[in-house]
Amino acid sequence: MAQSLQNQVAFRRVADALLLSSGGRSVKLRIPASAVPADPSEQLGLAVPQFEDVELSPATFRNTSAKIAEGKATQRDLIVSASAIETLTSSTAFGSAESLFASAFGVLIDDRLLTILSATEMEAGGAVFAYRLTLREPIANAP
Amino acid sequence: MQRAKDTFYIALRDRIAALNPARTAWVRGIVRPAVLIEENELAGDFPPLNAFRLRWTALEAYPHGPLPLVKMRCEIRYATAGNPGNGGMDRGRMMAAMDAEIAQALTEPPQRVLKTDYATPAAPQPQRTNIFWGDVQFGAIAANGEQLERTASVDVYSYQETSER
Repeated sequence: MAQSLQNQVAFRRVADALLLSSGGRSVKLRIPASAVPADPSEQLGLAVPQFEDVELSPATFRNTSAKIAEGKATQRDLIVSASAIETLTSSTAFGSAESLFASAFGVLIDDRLLTILSATEMEAGGAVFAYRLTLREPIANAP
Repeated sequence: MQRAKDTFYIALRDRIAALNPARTAWVRGIVRPAVLIEENELAGDFPPLNAFRLRWTALEAYPHGPLPLVKMRCEIRYATAGNPGNGGMDRGRMMAAMDAEIAQALTEPPQRVLKTDYATPAAPQPQRTNIFWGDVQFGAIAANGEQLERTASVDVYSYQETSER
């Protein structure tokens, strides 16, 4: 058991080192503040939540492997360290990575806000070491 | 029209919560009754499962008469992938349970409720007229991967009171 936990920690450290050495950078996750319990104002659209930008690091933005299709918004991949996500989920009301990504408004990369289309766990040795996010660029309006 | 939409949502939310208090959804860190208005939530690609999502679509106005009558169509979308502990093999039964809840909530008499203005800062303000709705119509089930999805629709009627114009 102890050996398994040590292995999981080791996998994460290796993953973080790899992310840092392969163009590691920080991005920001834009998340809404927690909803107000038993207050119908937000449910009715009368009040909107505050948003905050939370830094995620290390992350690798795969700028060159975009999926481009005519008439559709470009999709790109972002790989984020599981350590960064775990820190965030333990300090906010979002109990799991899944609910965090589902509630997030998007990822801010170089002042561009990209929408999260999907989030996939990357696993090795029984430990999640990173998350792969598929992001959609903003849809360009016709000139 | 907004007051009628708000009133219908609150009425449906409270009826579903009374029928099945366990029908809840995790929304931005809190648990609340699993009845949501799509246009008031963050636009996302992960619509919550086992929850009713309201979408207002068609709108018709009948201006003749002492008060103009407005008919609005409300689509109620819901989906389930079953219980993960059961490998999703109970998704048909979970869909049937949601069908029954929405049918009972919308056909239980009275099919009307006093229109209320929820935008007043102090407290919700009752209006002079009711909103009322017809019978619910169920669309066919669509299978989307491991999910079953259905859209039910209902026409909601309200009178435009003088203070709303």
